[in-house]
Amino acid sequence: MTAAKFRPSKVILYFVLVLIALVCLIPFAWMISASLKLNKDVFAFPIQWIPQNPRFQNYGDIWEQIPLGKFIFNTTKITVIVTFLQLLTSSFAAYAFAKLRFKGKNVLFISYVCTIAVPWQAYMVPQFIMMRNTFHLNDTHLAIICLQAFSAFGVFLMRQFYMDVPDELCEAARIDGMNEYQIWAKIMLPLSKPALATLTIFTFVATWNDFLGPLIYLTTTEKKTIQIGLRMFISQYSSEYGLIFAASVVVLIPVLIVFLLLQKYFVQGIATSGLKG
Amino acid sequence: MTKSRIVSALLASALCLSVFSGCGNGGPAASANAAPSGTASQKTAEKVTLTWAMWDKDKVEYYQQLADAYNKEHSNVEISFKDLGSSDYQTALGTQLAGGDSGIDIVSVKDIPGYASMTKAGELLDLTQYISDSKIDTSKYGNVVDQIKVDGKVYELPYRNDIWVVYYNKDLFDKAKVAYPTNDMTFDQYDALARKLAGGSGNDKVYGNYYHKWRSTVQLFGILDGKHTVLDGDYSFLKPYYNTVLKEQQDGICMDYATLKTSNTTYQGVFENNQAAMLNMGGWFLSTIMQDIKAGKSKCTKFGMVKYPHPAGVEAGTTLGTITGLAVTATTKHKDEACDFLKFVTGEEGQKIIAKTASFPAIQDSATLGEITALDGFPTDQNSKDALKTVKTYLEMALNSQSAAIDKALNDAHDAIMSKSVSVDDGISQMNTNVKPLLGK
Amino acid sequence: MTAAAVPVKKVSLKKRKILDNLTAYSFIAPNFIGFAVFTLVPIVMAVGLSFMEWNGSGVQSPKYIGLGNYAHLFRDGQFIEAFFNTIIYTAATVPFTMFLALLLAIVLNQKIFARSFFRTVSFFPYVASLVAVAAVWNALFSPTAGPVNQILMSLGVKNPPGWAADVHWAMVTLILFSIWKNVGYYMVMYLAGLQSINPELYEAASLDGANTVQKFFQITIPQLGHTTFLVMIMVTIQCFKVYDIVLMITNGGPGTKTQVLVFYIYNVAFNNWDLGYASAISMVLFVLVLVVTLVMFRRERTMSN
Repeated sequence: MTAAKFRPSKVILYFVLVLIALVCLIPFAWMISASLKLNKDVFAFPIQWIPQNPRFQNYGDIWEQIPLGKFIFNTTKITVIVTFLQLLTSSFAAYAFAKLRFKGKNVLFISYVCTIAVPWQAYMVPQFIMMRNTFHLNDTHLAIICLQAFSAFGVFLMRQFYMDVPDELCEAARIDGMNEYQIWAKIMLPLSKPALATLTIFTFVATWNDFLGPLIYLTTTEKKTIQIGLRMFISQYSSEYGLIFAASVVVLIPVLIVFLLLQKYFVQGIATSGLKG
Repeated sequence: MTKSRIVSALLASALCLSVFSGCGNGGPAASANAAPSGTASQKTAEKVTLTWAMWDKDKVEYYQQLADAYNKEHSNVEISFKDLGSSDYQTALGTQLAGGDSGIDIVSVKDIPGYASMTKAGELLDLTQYISDSKIDTSKYGNVVDQIKVDGKVYELPYRNDIWVVYYNKDLFDKAKVAYPTNDMTFDQYDALARKLAGGSGNDKVYGNYYHKWRSTVQLFGILDGKHTVLDGDYSFLKPYYNTVLKEQQDGICMDYATLKTSNTTYQGVFENNQAAMLNMGGWFLSTIMQDIKAGKSKCTKFGMVKYPHPAGVEAGTTLGTITGLAVTATTKHKDEACDFLKFVTGEEGQKIIAKTASFPAIQDSATLGEITALDGFPTDQNSKDALKTVKTYLEMALNSQSAAIDKALNDAHDAIMSKSVSVDDGISQMNTNVKPLLGK
Repeated sequence: MTAAAVPVKKVSLKKRKILDNLTAYSFIAPNFIGFAVFTLVPIVMAVGLSFMEWNGSGVQSPKYIGLGNYAHLFRDGQFIEAFFNTIIYTAATVPFTMFLALLLAIVLNQKIFARSFFRTVSFFPYVASLVAVAAVWNALFSPTAGPVNQILMSLGVKNPPGWAADVHWAMVTLILFSIWKNVGYYMVMYLAGLQSINPELYEAASLDGANTVQKFFQITIPQLGHTTFLVMIMVTIQCFKVYDIVLMITNGGPGTKTQVLVFYIYNVAFNNWDLGYASAISMVLFVLVLVVTLVMFRRERTMSN
């Protein structure tokens, strides 16, 4: 790993990596290609990778035909709030599950995990009734935020990473006189940057791409989100596929930027460097 | 310790359910009973907002036009739209209505299974009395209203009835030097004609006709004779149609089902790209093709329409209809106003507004059809104009309390037959075994 | 030393325990209250609904029918088919996804050229809109005109599979697609997990003369225990709950050959509006995952002890 010598194994490695990159990027190439086509040509065979008459107008039309800017704003707002709440509450709760002893810990934890398995389709209707009749949150962004921000998944994920932080670190901090809140803030949070980055990416993507939630809860056009907006190009009997893919390319960019910015936290040694200090 | 936990969890669940079923029981049921008592008539002059659950608000021109036209005559009534999107409309609407007090007064009913489930759940207002009181002549809708009666009661009135026709590409006919189809074509003649038109290869491949992936495009030729329905429970009458279409598929006359299903092929793309000479499709395609030709988006520039192919011995002009209805919710607080608006949309005036947007209204008489054929871009030949005149329309899906499940079973078998996963006989016996129990046979 | 820490030592053991419990609950509370109100309560309602008959009506209330819905499960051919389809799908998808994700994570954790590019690219299938990627996947694997089959035919394969439209291959197509789509997601989990392995362990092993393979099995795998637990449970749950991939790739077909449980649940709930029965089917998923989780959880605890 240290010397940059020529090794045949490296050649094979890069060959495989480039292959993987190709396999992953083909749909992206197709999306861009489709986004420059007329609706009728999008699914035409044989596949035309480079459109004969690229239709850049699609990228202008998407902003006019639906209030895409408004949708992006709404989605950004929801996504940022959800991600923030999710990170905060999940890492907080996960600390207790990973590092503290208390009554009912295992039962509570397993019930957290298993509820992830219940498909949303099964409790969507009772949940909607409760949200509207008890909390009067129908057609509000707050409803989506409440549903997304307190997921069991975040707690599960953060707990698993906190388990890897050596208990000795917490013990040492307790002997130094830190209380649990301080240990969480000063030791666990800084050590769990890769995990926080992971949870940020996952929450961001999930909220950004959420479809069924906004569909059920947001019925006023001004309040809708991107994924609902994309479906607005699909009407009952015909769909504007060229525009759908143009809009898909546009809304993909923020997600990729978030990933690109956060992946740099996946660097070996962060979590363990604390041990030496 | 664990036992007490289980008990407390059970108690909690019982508590939640009582709260929850309470709200299903009390509020909405009471208002449903209160609504028909007729107290609403005193407050006609009050300002009223009617909420209309529908889809494709910005894609369909007539919604706003209808609201504006009604508002002109009834300045106290305002229409507010609740656009639930077309792709998951029934899921979204059903969830909205499930809570009881949904605030929705009027609903567009997208299809028969949705209508069946909402009537079964008691969510729609019974309009039978209103129809006879306000002397609405349901024969104006052809034989459609009879087909949507539930135990003799009507819960919706249609405002659109998209009849099925054959669209054909005049350029491709001219190129192949084949005479245009006529308004009286049996299914066998349709097959023979398609065989004459198919040709070419590679990028210039032209299909004689195109059956979209829906089961309706193949199965429903079988119900035009009036002797069979999709609720028969015995589907052997579909066999000749499947055999013909599969043979066409095998001979390269129509596009292969497996290909068109997996590649998300759109009928619009195939027709507009000059890939198919004929297309059996509902009336909704008319406005799309007219718009696309006008905007220069379509390679096919000249098209015509003829009446739907029918089995031998059945009168020409017998076709399928896909209806869209309007209904009033059982929980509405503005029953009179909602019914009056429904009467407006489904009446002559509203129907004319719909026809002007190249959509097929539910009342199809010379006045409304005249609006469509007079539109700029409508084919100029007489046959295309006559193609819109029907003698009998059968609903695409027949009404039954199990409509949704039957529809699903027929779709599954259709998919299996058309992708050649099972033989026609096996597919049909699959339909029989799956549908019969649903019909209680 | 903070003031709070001093009195704790003086109070009795029992009081201290209560205090410890309270501290722990205070950590959990912000998430748990939100979770309980917005997710747990509706789930408990769904559990209740599974003993009832209800068509989602706003005017008719649910009717208690005891175990009726559960009894119906055993007689329902469509449920049984969907159940086994789900099991087959899960059994095939989980190991491959986990293995490939781990492999990819290890490679992308090395100091290689353009690492952030390759990481982003391999996460791409997960973030890209499903409508788009399903469309291109289906186009590539289209039975007659698709590039994949054309390549196969030029290689001398006489009857290439019909993939998504073929009875025998539809499930395989589905499995391949979902592995491709989701590997990047679990790669990220593993990537984060790899960061918590102490590099000194590898250095010590190198001094002892361990080769790469030995290091992988003796250090990487055991050290990733907690991450593997997470990935395993999440892949399993995701497979059990698969819905939109099936919808986009095969739509449950040909016929009902690839109908999975959630696909069926959606149909029962929102086409047939039989919400009680839909809840009952969901409970089957819940129990399945409960069993898997308990087994894994026990293993995790014995491993860490």
